[in-house]
Amino acid sequence: MSASLWLAAACTPERLSDGGRLLQVMGQFLSLSLFSLGGGNTLLAEYHHLAVDQYCWLTARQFADLYALAEAAPGPSSMIVGLLGLGAAWREGPGWALLSAVAAELAILLPSTLVMVVACLSWKRLARSPLRLAFERAMGPITLGILSAVGLKILRSADTDGAGVVASCVVCVLMLRTRISPLWFMAVAGGLGAFGLINR
Amino acid sequence: MTDPCPSKSDAGRLTALAPRPSLPDLFVGMLQIALSAFGGGLSAWSQRIVVEQRRWMSNDQFLTGLTVARLFPGPNQINMAVYIGTEFHGVLGAGVALAGMLLVPFSLLLGLGMVYFEVHELPAVARVLAGVVAAAAGMALSMGFKILDQYWKDGVALVLAAVVFVALSVFHARLVPVVLVSGPLAMAWYWPRSARPAP
Repeated sequence: MSASLWLAAACTPERLSDGGRLLQVMGQFLSLSLFSLGGGNTLLAEYHHLAVDQYCWLTARQFADLYALAEAAPGPSSMIVGLLGLGAAWREGPGWALLSAVAAELAILLPSTLVMVVACLSWKRLARSPLRLAFERAMGPITLGILSAVGLKILRSADTDGAGVVASCVVCVLMLRTRISPLWFMAVAGGLGAFGLINR
Repeated sequence: MTDPCPSKSDAGRLTALAPRPSLPDLFVGMLQIALSAFGGGLSAWSQRIVVEQRRWMSNDQFLTGLTVARLFPGPNQINMAVYIGTEFHGVLGAGVALAGMLLVPFSLLLGLGMVYFEVHELPAVARVLAGVVAAAAGMALSMGFKILDQYWKDGVALVLAAVVFVALSVFHARLVPVVLVSGPLAMAWYWPRSARPAP
């Protein structure tokens, strides 16, 4: 397969100019879908790995930018996968980029959504089974470990200066202690950036 | 529900559920939720709209849905839309609810994304983004801490979380093998024992 060839050529952006490669990329997202425990955010580090390290569609900074964009925009923040698809095929022109965005989003949502439909329809039987109880208790701590790793990964991708890291820590504390909308934090920090107080 | 079959006369009572939403209702309700939740707090908004405003389901039903949505893989908000849609119109309802939640926000986001790729190299934009990204990184950082509280008294859980964290962050292990190894081990440990129900 050409996949190994593309992997060997570290950081030559993988071009998405034909349907076959697009399907290959969709396959990656399809197979990750069922591993999004405790919400979509647990997959962020894997997305980073695919988009930045493996296929070189984006730089780490662009990845951090897109994460911020998905968080700020209305709707589920898991739509970041669409933005990754967009970035992946941006060099091929806007039409192809939009197609790739929709394909990536569909691929990441399809398997988990199908499982969810089955779960809803059979919940009454599942609710009291020991399998469900064990799964629920076991996945909590694993999710905790994953989300901590994801937070660190995003912080590293953001790659800001000392002032930026301090701002990140302040936002983190405010997120935990207050109910202020995160949009305010982004607006204020964006202002600090505009005045050159946060750089990267 | 005390009144399983509300008549027209008490439709205005707080306790009465509204009639089953039609497919267009479902679409519009989900769209309303998605657009209300500007900058997060989606599940609080869906509770407000689905339970309090539109009275499609009781709070208990809603909380059951939240449990299912969190338990199974997939983004919680998306799974919640699937739950609500399935409850009223089966698989078709799930599709309509998802479309309502995603179509408009996703189009908006892609528009934003296209603007981003056009302008992100302009110096002024890059400066603002440096700040915005610092704030977003803080939000990402808070996700783990947010659920840390519930595990303080469970030493095994903390060790498990720490091992997963180290495997991913220090040894750069991929998520799928980490979950496939740690998952079954953790499930064996937490398997409910009839003699001593775990906390």
